[in-house]
Amino acid sequence: MMIDIKQLSFKWQKHQIKPTLAIASLEVIKGEHVFLHGPSGCGKSTLLALLAGINQPTSGTLKILDCELNQLSNSKRDAFRADHIGYIFQNFNLLPYLSPLENVTLGCQFSKLRQKKALTTSSSLHQEASRLLNALGLDEQFHQQNVANLSIGQQQRVAAARAFIGSPELIIADEPTSALDSNNRQAFIKLLFEQAQAANSTLVFVSHDDSLQPLFNRNIDLIALQEQV
Amino acid sequence: MVLVKLAISSLYNRRASVFLTLLTIAISVMLLLSIERVRVDAKSSFSNTISGTDLIVGARTGDIQLLLSSVFRIGHANNGVSWQSYQYIKQQRGVKWSIPLSLGDSHKGQAVLGTSADYFQHYKFAKKQPLSFSQGRPFQHLNEVVLGAQVAKSLGYSLGDSIIISHGMGNTSFHHHDDNPFTVVGVLNATGTPVDKTLHIPLAAIEQIHSTNHTSHEHEHEHEHEHEHEHEHEHEHEKPTDLIGNPKQITAFLIGFDSPLYTLQVRRNINQFKDEALLAIMPGVTLRELWEMLTIVEKILLLFSIVVVLVSLLGMLTTLLANLNQRRRELAILRSVGARPWHLFALISIESLLTTFLGCLAGCGLFYLLMALASGYLQSHAGITITIAMLSSYELMLIGAIMAAGFIVGLIPASRAYFYSLSDGMSIKI
Repeated sequence: MMIDIKQLSFKWQKHQIKPTLAIASLEVIKGEHVFLHGPSGCGKSTLLALLAGINQPTSGTLKILDCELNQLSNSKRDAFRADHIGYIFQNFNLLPYLSPLENVTLGCQFSKLRQKKALTTSSSLHQEASRLLNALGLDEQFHQQNVANLSIGQQQRVAAARAFIGSPELIIADEPTSALDSNNRQAFIKLLFEQAQAANSTLVFVSHDDSLQPLFNRNIDLIALQEQV
Repeated sequence: MVLVKLAISSLYNRRASVFLTLLTIAISVMLLLSIERVRVDAKSSFSNTISGTDLIVGARTGDIQLLLSSVFRIGHANNGVSWQSYQYIKQQRGVKWSIPLSLGDSHKGQAVLGTSADYFQHYKFAKKQPLSFSQGRPFQHLNEVVLGAQVAKSLGYSLGDSIIISHGMGNTSFHHHDDNPFTVVGVLNATGTPVDKTLHIPLAAIEQIHSTNHTSHEHEHEHEHEHEHEHEHEHEHEKPTDLIGNPKQITAFLIGFDSPLYTLQVRRNINQFKDEALLAIMPGVTLRELWEMLTIVEKILLLFSIVVVLVSLLGMLTTLLANLNQRRRELAILRSVGARPWHLFALISIESLLTTFLGCLAGCGLFYLLMALASGYLQSHAGITITIAMLSSYELMLIGAIMAAGFIVGLIPASRAYFYSLSDGMSIKI
């Protein structure tokens, strides 16, 4: 089991009457490509923060890879995230002062486990980063360029490569295609699928754009999910 | 290690604003170090100027004024000491040696001192070091001159050169005594004191410069008895061996005693001398008084430079804080790849520490540059010998204090980064 949520509720403040997020049950098995959608303000970001171990549920359990996150200490949770989760942001994904290659290797700078995994496929981190960038369709000529000179689509490829390096079990993508046009969007999602398959990763893709639904093998409506409570 | 690399790349990326921050820190460090170095060197230059002299006697003015005019050649004494008084005092019990000094003339802006040959034997500086010759010998004739190291160097004189001494101070004297050429017979080793900037001629020659009838050619006979000048009572004006002459008055004179026990007694006698209003000072005591007067200025300067350092560090704080808001995305990205809040805290701390460190380094560079450029000016205009040496432990401590202050200032944005990373989490709020 990749993600296992039971009776989870989350409140930003203690005395909040209605919880920001309440999920009775959610299970995602390994290797699934899940499309999580819902309108703005329905708690998508909150759920992602819980999945990434940034925030902790107010009640209920949340297990990732059979590990209960709220049982871990803060630093263990940070280490867990570094080891097992790759994260792709909506936009502004890259550190402007690092080259695309360095941005990618950053994905395993804080995790020994991911460094080790990355080195099983390539002889060096740079080589692995380069391989991933090529696989995601970013030509060699852009690998050392200033990230500011890359287009948004190219930047998202770099961000995806950073999430995939060291093959983390869970890839969380937070509206990564919202700045792309529909052609690029589909192409980018296909590349994500290919890489997720190759790395044997579970993909949780969050968006408010329902038109992407047909591409995924599982769709979850966050509003509907919460009404089960 | 990753963090240091990230900090360096990040700083390099913002190099324009970082450079300005660095520059303000560098300038403040330079100011602080320069003021400190000039203070220390001024103090040692001052206290090293004269030693081994028990009393300086001149016409009654202020203690410090007498010291400045007789030893530092700064300002000039309004009055002199009459020759009779000098003759009387030097015969007091306990007086081991005395050196008459006659100032007031110049050569190309450098002071000319009329004195006796005893000067080269008894005048001592720093830790009772006597004057020594790098070339030549003391003057033995009326038309001979001994140059201080700085004079010889800056005016390019060497042994055998013939120079003209003019009456009065300053570069442009109204009347040059063209018919009184002096021959360079000796050059002194550098002492780091006003002696370096002085031309020494026999006391009698001063009088001769000022007298209207030029009889200098009569004094050009060779003779061996330079010690005859010790017998001043002979007063034989026409005798060529007499380097002292019989002047009406001299500017001041130095006294050394057989035992320092005489000092206070003789000093009191001189200060109460009935025939003439005289003043005797103990150079060590007056040097200290002079220095204490200057410490207020020095403390104000130090205070100002500390304020400049603080302002530059506040400038760094402002830049760091202003940047931090724009960098919240960066922090979220780092969090997403597994950086812990303390990593971000460390990242920002390293950045501020690096900035202060580089600022201090650049400041030291600027400091040495400034000292190298200014040492000549300070030497010639203020008589302060700047030692371009390694940083002293106190100066290193100052730099350490600046680094520490920079680090502490950097903790403010660092802790903000820490709390941003906790509250923002993965959601990028800007």
